[in-house]
Amino acid sequence: MEIFEHLFTSMIQASAPLLLASMGEVVSQRSGVINIGIEGMMLFGALFGLLGSYYTSGLPFLAPWFGILLAGLSGLITAAIFSYFAIKLRGDQIVIGTAITLLALGLTEVLYRRLFGGTGTQLGIHDFKPIEIPLLHKIPILGEILFSHNILVFLAFLLVPCVYFFLYHTQYGLKVRACGEHPKAISTVGSNVLRIRMLCMLFAGAMAGIGGAYLTLADVPYFLPGMTSGRGFVALAIVIFGKWHPTRTLVAALLFGLGYALDAQFQALSLGIQYQWFKMLPFVLCLTVLAGFVGRAEAPLALGKPYDPSE
Amino acid sequence: MPNLHEIYSNTRSFCLAKMEKYPRLFQWVVTPCLILSGAFITNGIIMYLFAYNPIEAYGSAIELTFGTLSGLSETLVKATPYLMTGLSVAIAFRCGIWNIGAEGQFLMGALAACFFGTKVVTLLPNTSWIAIPLCLLAAIIAGGIWGIIPAILKLTRGVNEVISTIMFNYIAIYFVSMMIDGGPLQESSKTGPQSDPIALWANIPPLIRPYRIHSGIILSVILAVVLTFILFRTTYGYQLRAVGEGAAAAQAAGISIPHNTVRVFFISGALAAFGGATELMALAPVLTPKFSPGYGYTAIAVALLARLHPLTTIASALLFGALAEGSFAMEAEVGISRQITWMMQAIILLFVIGFGSIGYLQKQTSK
Repeated sequence: MEIFEHLFTSMIQASAPLLLASMGEVVSQRSGVINIGIEGMMLFGALFGLLGSYYTSGLPFLAPWFGILLAGLSGLITAAIFSYFAIKLRGDQIVIGTAITLLALGLTEVLYRRLFGGTGTQLGIHDFKPIEIPLLHKIPILGEILFSHNILVFLAFLLVPCVYFFLYHTQYGLKVRACGEHPKAISTVGSNVLRIRMLCMLFAGAMAGIGGAYLTLADVPYFLPGMTSGRGFVALAIVIFGKWHPTRTLVAALLFGLGYALDAQFQALSLGIQYQWFKMLPFVLCLTVLAGFVGRAEAPLALGKPYDPSE
Repeated sequence: MPNLHEIYSNTRSFCLAKMEKYPRLFQWVVTPCLILSGAFITNGIIMYLFAYNPIEAYGSAIELTFGTLSGLSETLVKATPYLMTGLSVAIAFRCGIWNIGAEGQFLMGALAACFFGTKVVTLLPNTSWIAIPLCLLAAIIAGGIWGIIPAILKLTRGVNEVISTIMFNYIAIYFVSMMIDGGPLQESSKTGPQSDPIALWANIPPLIRPYRIHSGIILSVILAVVLTFILFRTTYGYQLRAVGEGAAAAQAAGISIPHNTVRVFFISGALAAFGGATELMALAPVLTPKFSPGYGYTAIAVALLARLHPLTTIASALLFGALAEGSFAMEAEVGISRQITWMMQAIILLFVIGFGSIGYLQKQTSK
């Protein structure tokens, strides 16, 4: 029984960074922009989250929040670079996304080496500690699984209804969705397609940055080169599996969180199975899920297609 | 602060005007030079911001890369995997297939060569004439099959190949790790996460001792020429390109899209795997978890800078080989992390995109 409790607790925790990143991605893809650079933005977030908390360590309570702020900003700036090339210059989004990821791989390591000499050292930062929701955490079993996490986990799950409300119950959300389906139509009624897409992209970047910061501010207190190890790409698959819908994306994120949780739990059990099987699990899960459960022609119609306002 | 977008727009309109007059010169010579100088300057500015001396860094890189015979040999050695994976990406992209999976295919090729080089050729007559072709063939088949799986997923289940090939990269990394770390290919002493060295007679010997330069570079240049011939001088290549130019039109002309997709994925995977095999058989007799420093991802920059043409990929791969070799000098002399090459590649890619709007990336309709 205890093993299941551990498993589901770590499922919730592992799905939080995926959820943060994929909620941003839902919005950007709904507006018609595929952000493959999400992996790179998460990596920037992981490093800058750590730095933000490290340089403000004089303020123990605020330090992790400065980390989040800096991580969000780094994601935002990266997204701005992405937007300039993808939206303004109408470049290929897949190539730009790859470039952003390469940029993050290089820049984070060069910067970390410059600041601290080596990688992987413990910096002694203030990170997010688990908090228990009063009363609710006392519910047997469920209380431990659902209501005893660090604040980022709760915020990540709160983001889902917010994004849902924004996309489906606000006028601006309607515009965002229209941008992804038929940009020309929304342009003829006087909306600026490029601006809507850019704003969505900035939101996606900030969320990816914060998702990355989860890794250093709530998971492990150090930075490793390429430490996101494919989580950004998994978030991308989550959005597809979630059929570009916030609540389905939540289900998908939990499923992949379970994949990562299995990895962590089974390694601890040492069952005599090679550990690489569990490392592979999220990626195999991605492929199985994409091949088995996603129908064709569900994506926003104009997804990945640059919009030329002069046409 | 000058308005960067304005500088860019001015350069762009200048190029557009000149391109009308001298299209070839601009597409193949002037624009690549502009891209590279822009990228080097931007990279230099970032180095400066990180309080490194860019002039000293670039100087030491050039000195090592072109100033010594061993540096020159190392540049060619490092260019070989870039050329193979670059060709793999160039072929795929040109035919309209977004294969981001060169990394995984490269590793699977190396793994197959490692399996044959350590377990199979030792059972056969001990001669290089059998061992080397056998290992290379095994790699080609392994990489080709690894490439076909995303093709099948795309055709039968509609899975986007960008996502699936990225996933297959990670699966390949952990699969290789599984084989050499606790799996059947781990070294006989079972001490570290690496394979046994491959049999001596399966090694590709160096061309000029004492340097490491090997015949892999010659093989890959020949491959680039052959690919150019196939792509631009045969019906088969014409069909492949036609699909890349416009799937609907190609289909209307009676070209089978599924067949072409599978073919392109196989060729692309086989090329990357061939690179992995030669890298293993010529340089590293043992397979380790860090065998590829991301050749498959760099390959995207290599191929796009070369405008997806096999012949120009040779030049582009040489440049990236020099960059990789130069980064060692920068790390040793100036203390910049070697990973700065990633940044450099990303900046080159972004400049390629920037110039993409003046037709730099547009596939040519003629040869």
